Amino acid sequence: MVLYEAGKEDSIIMIKLKNVTKYFQTNNGKKYILKDVSINIPSHTNIGILGRNGAGKSTLMRMLGQIEFPNSGKITSPNTFSWPLGLSGGFVGNMTGKANVKFVCRLYGKNNQEINEIIANIREFTELGAYFDMPIKTYSSGMKSRLNFALSMAFDFDYLLIDETLSVGDTRFKKKSKEALMKKIETCAVLLVSHDMKILRELCDAGIVVNAGQMYYYGDINDAIDEYENINKKAG
Amino acid sequence: MRFSVSRIGLFWTFFEPFFQVLIFVIIKIFFFGQLSNNFDFAVFLALNFTAFNMFRNIVNKSMGAFTANRGLFVYKQVKPIDTVIARSMVEVFITGIIILIFIMIGFYFQFDMHVKNLGMVSLGFVWLIIFSFSLALCLAVANTFVNSVSKVVGFLMYALMFGSALFFTVDMLSPELQTIILYNPLTHFMEIIHGSYFYTLDLIHVNTVYMMLWTVSLLFLGLWFYMKLEKKIVSL
Repeated sequence: MVLYEAGKEDSIIMIKLKNVTKYFQTNNGKKYILKDVSINIPSHTNIGILGRNGAGKSTLMRMLGQIEFPNSGKITSPNTFSWPLGLSGGFVGNMTGKANVKFVCRLYGKNNQEINEIIANIREFTELGAYFDMPIKTYSSGMKSRLNFALSMAFDFDYLLIDETLSVGDTRFKKKSKEALMKKIETCAVLLVSHDMKILRELCDAGIVVNAGQMYYYGDINDAIDEYENINKKAG
Repeated sequence: MRFSVSRIGLFWTFFEPFFQVLIFVIIKIFFFGQLSNNFDFAVFLALNFTAFNMFRNIVNKSMGAFTANRGLFVYKQVKPIDTVIARSMVEVFITGIIILIFIMIGFYFQFDMHVKNLGMVSLGFVWLIIFSFSLALCLAVANTFVNSVSKVVGFLMYALMFGSALFFTVDMLSPELQTIILYNPLTHFMEIIHGSYFYTLDLIHVNTVYMMLWTVSLLFLGLWFYMKLEKKIVSL
């Protein structure tokens, strides 16, 4: 992501999309996710991202996390983003949970002492028990997302990218992780993809609706949810 | 990553080449008798197989590196080429240990292991590492976009095992066969390695310009295709 100079106007902008076009090549021609979208998203807000299945919410997240790239146009931001916390990926199956945590810590430049602290915290938080020292491929999907969530809480990003991971795990862990997230977002902001309107209303201030190649920003999450429900109604 | 799960896998990694050499030595003695007394055939095989196995493992392991490590690409710090470099490094390291094991076995059974030109043998190995890495990178990229590349490479490896002067020297062949086998760049690597190791062999068939041509063009091709397709590989 290209850093631009933070002028007066820019200081309130967190993400700037300029003529961004993103499409996927399908058998029936190009399927547009974003079509020549220019939009400025203000900073210091928790944003919920809404859209129907396949509208491109996850792709948008991946583009912000810089692991997917627009076909044309530019996305710029002065802020740091976490990796997109999704249901899958992020781990090496043959390595133990602990080894994976260590690996990611090294990626983010932590020293040995910090790594040991993080490992101790994650071991306690995830409650994986003996599984923490077992290869990831022996994990259930719930265990994986627990580890993934705990891991992302260990680093300081300006923005956390969360892709529907809050809806997994048992009730107790859900509650625990929500509390952890609430505490975390005192110091950082969150970009949340979810189909759970209750969670969106609770966590987010603003909303983005992705639909039919366009992206709309709403300063109030309730407006975004209304618009999303309209779209759903129209689609039948 | 190769060993984190089973201990028996660790054992076979280091002793497979030993048994390989043993089997071929037995086959040779039983079926062909003691063909040449110029050099110790067991040492000759051990040397050639170590080099060839390194080449084969770098290529084979790297070929699947992109798809196997896809989960790690959610971290923007991890570039696909890192996985090829990492896997190649692991194979080189393993080869180092195998060489040590062979040397120990050799000393124990008092084989004649005198080296004519250690510098040239080392150069042969280092050059082979670069050559293998270049080929591995090309094939890793190709394997991501073209199906059945790994199948073709699979049986090409068998052809290379018998057509790269592993069991014989180029000198032992008829002139017609010599011209054919010398089109294979791997033959030159094998010749440079065993030709510099044994006092009774020489380097007259080695064409360093031809080797350089292959190495440079493969490295260039691999890096060029990788550069062009990196973003696609990341967001597979």
